[in-house]
Amino acid sequence: MTSTITAPERDTRRADRTRPARPVHWAQGRWYVPWLFLGVALVVVCTFALFPFFNTLLLSFTDATLLRGGQFIGVDNFGELLGDSRFQTALLNSTLYVICVVPVMVILPLILATLVAGNGRLLGFFRTSYYLPVIMSPVIVGLVWTNLLNRRGLVNAVLEWVSAVSGPVPFLTDRWLLLFSAMFVTIWMGMGYYMVIYLAALASIDPSLYDSAAVDGAGTVRKFLHVTMPGVRNTMGLIGLFSSIAAFRVFGEVYMLTDGTGGTGGENLTMTMLIQREGTGLQARTGYAGAISLVMFVIMAIFLLLQLVAQNRQRKNG
Amino acid sequence: MSRTFRWTTAGVAASAALSLTLTGCGVGGGGSDDSGAADTGGKVAGKITFQTWNLKGGYKQYFEGLVDAFEKKHPGTTVKWVDQPAEGYQDKLSADAAAGNLPDVVDMGPEAARTLADAGTLLNVAEDDPEAEKDYLPAAWKAMTFKDVKGGTYGYPWYLNTGPSFFNTALFKKCGLDPKNLPKTYDELFDQAAVMSKNCGSKGISMIGRLPTIETFGMYGAKLMNKDGTKFTFNDAKGVELVERYQKLYKGSGFTEESLNALQTGEADSFKSGELGWLPGSSYTLSDLKKTAPKVAESVAMGPLIANTAPNMYLESLVVNAKSKNTATAKAFAKFVTDPANQMAFAKKASVFPSSTGSLEDPYFTKDDATDEGHLRVEAAHQVGTSVVWWPPAFSGTSDVDNLREQIAKALLGKTTAQQALDDAVKYANDRLAKQ
Repeated sequence: MTSTITAPERDTRRADRTRPARPVHWAQGRWYVPWLFLGVALVVVCTFALFPFFNTLLLSFTDATLLRGGQFIGVDNFGELLGDSRFQTALLNSTLYVICVVPVMVILPLILATLVAGNGRLLGFFRTSYYLPVIMSPVIVGLVWTNLLNRRGLVNAVLEWVSAVSGPVPFLTDRWLLLFSAMFVTIWMGMGYYMVIYLAALASIDPSLYDSAAVDGAGTVRKFLHVTMPGVRNTMGLIGLFSSIAAFRVFGEVYMLTDGTGGTGGENLTMTMLIQREGTGLQARTGYAGAISLVMFVIMAIFLLLQLVAQNRQRKNG
Repeated sequence: MSRTFRWTTAGVAASAALSLTLTGCGVGGGGSDDSGAADTGGKVAGKITFQTWNLKGGYKQYFEGLVDAFEKKHPGTTVKWVDQPAEGYQDKLSADAAAGNLPDVVDMGPEAARTLADAGTLLNVAEDDPEAEKDYLPAAWKAMTFKDVKGGTYGYPWYLNTGPSFFNTALFKKCGLDPKNLPKTYDELFDQAAVMSKNCGSKGISMIGRLPTIETFGMYGAKLMNKDGTKFTFNDAKGVELVERYQKLYKGSGFTEESLNALQTGEADSFKSGELGWLPGSSYTLSDLKKTAPKVAESVAMGPLIANTAPNMYLESLVVNAKSKNTATAKAFAKFVTDPANQMAFAKKASVFPSSTGSLEDPYFTKDDATDEGHLRVEAAHQVGTSVVWWPPAFSGTSDVDNLREQIAKALLGKTTAQQALDDAVKYANDRLAKQ
């Protein structure tokens, strides 16, 4: 009896002796360890995002200039904005940019992605070609398109050669033509990027859905409308968000096409161009520029919230 | 993907993007008004930094020799020369001034100097060195004296430039004008521009390629500011008359749509491509034309800067940082660079004009050596002697400049009257001046 009782006890003790003790890592249980992992990212975010954000917020309620710390002036900057015709022009141009560019940016890259999805060499060539403008410098793109669209440029030369127009089209001097030219350049530059996002989304659609649709007699257009589009609906929403923000913040294309002037009479100024004009240089009115930035932020926040709510409702209903 | 996750993803994406919207557009605040006390009684010794604007490319050897000569003259001194590229110089000055990192001696024009002086960043050289005034041309010294900034003089005048006129005589002949009868006043210019547009306007050829700038108003006869230098007044009868002449020219196809928005580079490009009859240039425009538009250069004729009043003068100065740790050395170096001998040497190398008293009487500027360059030099030097810095230092910053151009463009397009356009431009500039 005794031996039957003691044997297991002995065995257990042997087992305890032979199993190595689990080492306690030096970091285990120390409160600061997670902060060490987060540290670098936190410093970067605080320095380059949070501090400028709150600094801009504070500045917008002051009359600060670049060289002088400002005094608190309440909402005077915002009152001045309401009567500033340049602000109204900039707001109109940036809003028009969103209205015109975003639908095209959501649909066109999806069509392109559908066309170039696959493994063929020719498809690879087209994918690369469509993506090429994305990696080009905006300055180079601006210079190229300025040369193409000016009075003596290739586009006007071709239009006149085929007798489509009797004189040069004022692509870069007419207010609306210049704005639409800039929109065209934005779309040309951005569609490759969104096409790549759509290509990833298309890969997640079950191919059997297309087969089923074909069995049901669906053609290319119907497959696109009833299989592809519902399949990438979430991606479309995300691209809608991103392209809205990018369109409202447009700067480089208009700046380059107008040689930095904001167009004839300043009629092509956008919100970011106005901020740049007020907020840079030795006479920069940083307080006023901050107020424009804040208004821009609020407008976009409202716009994006509406977009999110609409998408959510659509999902609920769908 | 659950609804919660979708919302979270979209929400995070939206928040991140929105934050970037505001932070990306964020702007820095100003520093304090504390001007600080500088050590002005120290001896000439120690290290200073000297900053020029786009001069390293063509004059590296000259400046290295200049620095060596100063260090030899003042043993124990070290001058670090830095040159900034042409693009974004104002932004560089802004960033340095806001951060309190302005070099000890800096090359800049009166507009930038006034803003920095107003912020207490620059040394008042008139107060610190009253004897210096007699060493410089009165007009140049006056241009660096700012009535509205304690009436002080905030920099040593350095080199000057004026703008001779360049005419494309081939276009003059083609468009029914006499190339021997080049315009000298704005009245003659507008009359000849009307003839040119009548005969050649349909071919895209015009006499004038850019809207008037603030100095144009001064040269036309408008009064730019009140006596105290506290309010702009260029919306007077003469100013309105100038804009109305541009309006008339535009209606008669004597001014292209591109020109409504053209900057200086656009105007020069139009002249080089043979579409413009007149180019207000500088003393180095001729060599540039010979290099970049040799065909046009063959038919170029030069004349004095067109003005109804005194011609305009452009000035560069050397300012001394009021917070320099070696003010005595910085001041000595700025005076050394702008002394008559060094100014003369630089003027000969760079095709500019010295601002030191008596330098313009040197035979180099008074005797025509029968070359194109020599003729231009003598003519321009004569103009410099009678010229005025029309550009008011208070009319500074791209905002004032851009707004004036935009208002005039609107008047030409018929969206407003000449009077209203100038009233708006003056109000805008005055409001900005009051807020500085």
